[in-house]
Amino acid sequence: MTLHFQPPAPDHVPADRIVDFDFFHIPEGVSDPAEIWHDLVRRGVPKIFYTPRNGGHWVFLDYADIVEGYRDYSIFSTYQTPIPPIEPFPVVQPQGVDPPEHKVFRSLLAPMFTPVAVRGMTAELQRRAIALIEGLADRGECDFIGDFAERFPTSMFLYLFGLPEDRLDEFLALANVFFRATDSDVRAKNIVEIYAVLDALFREKQARPGADIASAIVAARDAQGQPHDWTDILNCGFLLFVAGLDTVTNTMAYIWRYLATTPEAQQHFRDRLDDPDAFLLAIEELMRINAVSNLYRRVTHDCEYKGVQLRRNDRVILPNTVANRDPRVFENPDVIDLDRAVNVHVTFGVGPHRCVGSHLAKREVMVSMQEWLRRIPHFELAPDQPRHAVFGGAVMGFTGLKLRW
Amino acid sequence: MHMDGQTPESLPRTLPGSLPEPLMVVANLDLCQGHARCEDLCPQVFATDAVEGKVVIAEPVFPPALEDKVRLAVRNCPEGALRIARRKGAGA
Repeated sequence: MTLHFQPPAPDHVPADRIVDFDFFHIPEGVSDPAEIWHDLVRRGVPKIFYTPRNGGHWVFLDYADIVEGYRDYSIFSTYQTPIPPIEPFPVVQPQGVDPPEHKVFRSLLAPMFTPVAVRGMTAELQRRAIALIEGLADRGECDFIGDFAERFPTSMFLYLFGLPEDRLDEFLALANVFFRATDSDVRAKNIVEIYAVLDALFREKQARPGADIASAIVAARDAQGQPHDWTDILNCGFLLFVAGLDTVTNTMAYIWRYLATTPEAQQHFRDRLDDPDAFLLAIEELMRINAVSNLYRRVTHDCEYKGVQLRRNDRVILPNTVANRDPRVFENPDVIDLDRAVNVHVTFGVGPHRCVGSHLAKREVMVSMQEWLRRIPHFELAPDQPRHAVFGGAVMGFTGLKLRW
Repeated sequence: MHMDGQTPESLPRTLPGSLPEPLMVVANLDLCQGHARCEDLCPQVFATDAVEGKVVIAEPVFPPALEDKVRLAVRNCPEGALRIARRKGAGA
């Protein structure tokens, strides 16, 4: 028997709301990291509970409360939210700023990621996806994470930022340390490196602007006609770097894992390669069932929320995967129904901070699936999977996924 | 852009010998966050603008043949920003 150190809970938390839960820890033998969240629901723990782990934080488990956590920024702020707490933390633009101030950078990014704008990127998405897939099609096997799911969104980041493709390995290395390193010194050095790269990149785009997002951000002016604060510009670049890579990588890992183990689902998509509407409808269901992000909020002031005392600076986690299987919102929530008609999943959040890149993310997944299924025959999991290749945290996912065909 | 959060959803006000007033779909742009699920599900009625990415309903009164698709789009809005109403003063 292992005895865990159990830190005390603060005195405003009643004993019957305390659950020992470490969302970074995926127990040995658990093959799907989201299961630690669904296990809480199955155990019947309070729908609003507090865990002393990771600096102490609340967890919301009801769809309605998770939605409220996204919408009511008067209580649930996105400003400096890391769990465990790191202070000070970069004020990531615009994600880490509450309305109405978040509008400054939100309005700057929004036009670059509208459905219209993303449709304009389709040819580039296809070109990059096809190049990667054709590079591995003849091998008959691959590590889906390292060979595709990491490379593709990172390659698109280079495109959006107007960077040459030969910098892919450099950015992959930066991202891999950022997302996977646990040593605090390594992490601190990595963040300094990322900011140095962004600083050089934005200076280059200032001097020689191109038709890319980095150039648009650096050329933008505020309401007074002045350039934005340089730190804010770097923090906005940082957001685009961290928000669009690991999320897409692991969403795709979940989806390919599901397709590899579910031949009829693979066939469902193969049958709809020429029917983009039906293809997209089925992807929405995969988005619902494979929600990899657990979002953080910070309580702005001492208050009572649904009979629970919250204290200023309390952290809250909003697990999208749990909201997306709430039986009060979804019919047969645990069934993957690729024709599901009503699907108000919150995989991209709701409210003022709805993932600004959601349309690009979905298009990345859709193009990847289409081009993959056109070039790779029936595929399945390879028998020699890496051992315990799963991780929890703010983004859940897989460190390796071996496929063969 | 059409925004009419105030229009109450009225019951069919059918006068003897007259047709019910046509259905229309209205968006509350304060609630819309640009998920564009409506555009995906019924592009004949819903679009999104190129600046904020919020819903644009060029013609709120939609053809009866699209009613099922419009209702599906309304039910799929994660923000509850869309609703169906009957247009008053139809034909006026």
